[in-house]
Amino acid sequence: MSAATFLPGTAAAEGLATCHTCCKLAPAESHKCPRCGSSLHLRTTDSLQRTIALAVTATLLYIPANVLPIMTTTMLGTSEPSTILGGVVLLIHHESYLIAAVIFIASVMVPTGKLLSISWLCWSVARRQSTSLEQRTRMYRVTEFVGKWSMTDVFVVAILVALIQLGGLLSITAGNAAIAFGGVVVVTMIAAESFDSRLIWDQMDAERSELEVESGDTNA
Amino acid sequence: MTETVPLRLGCLECDLLVCIEPLDPGARASCPRCGHMLTANNRDGFTRSLAFASAASMLLAMSMSFPFLSLEASGLEQVMTLPRSAYELYADGYLLIAILVMGPIIAVPALMIGALMAMLVPLRRGTPAPWIVPAGHFLFALSPWSMVEVFVIGVLVSLVKIGAMATVHLGISFWAYVAFAICFTATLTNLDRVQLWERIEELSA
Repeated sequence: MSAATFLPGTAAAEGLATCHTCCKLAPAESHKCPRCGSSLHLRTTDSLQRTIALAVTATLLYIPANVLPIMTTTMLGTSEPSTILGGVVLLIHHESYLIAAVIFIASVMVPTGKLLSISWLCWSVARRQSTSLEQRTRMYRVTEFVGKWSMTDVFVVAILVALIQLGGLLSITAGNAAIAFGGVVVVTMIAAESFDSRLIWDQMDAERSELEVESGDTNA
Repeated sequence: MTETVPLRLGCLECDLLVCIEPLDPGARASCPRCGHMLTANNRDGFTRSLAFASAASMLLAMSMSFPFLSLEASGLEQVMTLPRSAYELYADGYLLIAILVMGPIIAVPALMIGALMAMLVPLRRGTPAPWIVPAGHFLFALSPWSMVEVFVIGVLVSLVKIGAMATVHLGISFWAYVAFAICFTATLTNLDRVQLWERIEELSA
């Protein structure tokens, strides 16, 4: 891409790239950051393709994560496997509404919400939408921020497995859904990171961008 | 003085080209277009960060060595430590889960603290060291994968979950880990990426 394809006022329009490791602003044609040696790009390479591929992977992993048991409780000889949603239902039965809400938000709402918002961001960039830039940036920030919080459920399983080992009386073992679910979290985190939010702003209306450059000049 | 030269930055979120004057201590600069925080000149940022990092390293070592939680039910007692928790998963054949859990809560933060100290000690002394730049790469590559605060929430959720079945006692390591989580978060919030690399550049120049 040449510098001319970028809107005025951006670093890319002047052929400058921001280093992802050290934030140094350097000419993009040098391909290597003069300060820390990381590779330089005006925009993340194949950002949309990568993000979509990772979102699809995460969606596929989400199926075994919900179908397989996340842990198996053995109480007095009887084993009872439970899935993520089954666990939430069980907690509601036990009237632990707060914990049920935490698990439901962390394990169901956050991952599905993340996948939806990543897909929507990719779609809106691919469709060249020039509206609601601030909104979409905020959406991206939230998506990036909440990512790791879905690991809560995997951590809970790990703690229960280590702590509840009372032999035949009561013991808990982990299930394969924990691996799949951990995979969903890791893959969606990589997907959120590979999405380049600058692509959203690249589609700003040319008129608005000119207005901003003018007002920016008077401010300076 | 080189400090009077305004700093040119590209916003990492919207790519707006921004010129900022040197910041007063305690001031921060945000992108005028998308609001992304560009850089902050934290008061004594490096010193505080290093102090919190050394406290965090000791607390992490403590949280590895003592009982984390213990369980009492029908006269039986079960004590859990963090290394044991990893071993239990591994022994059950869930090596992947063991890595998925111990990586983000212990290994990643420990390596980050190591990298940070390796950078900040020579920086504060003003002596260039060949490993500063690689350590910086390492630190910022690892930082998205630390899930210290998520683990604390995970522990609280499991406490309530188990509380219905048996009596749970919090061990020394639990409190050490909570304190570690606070110190580790403080370490990172006091460290500004832009300021850190500017200082590294000054040092090597």
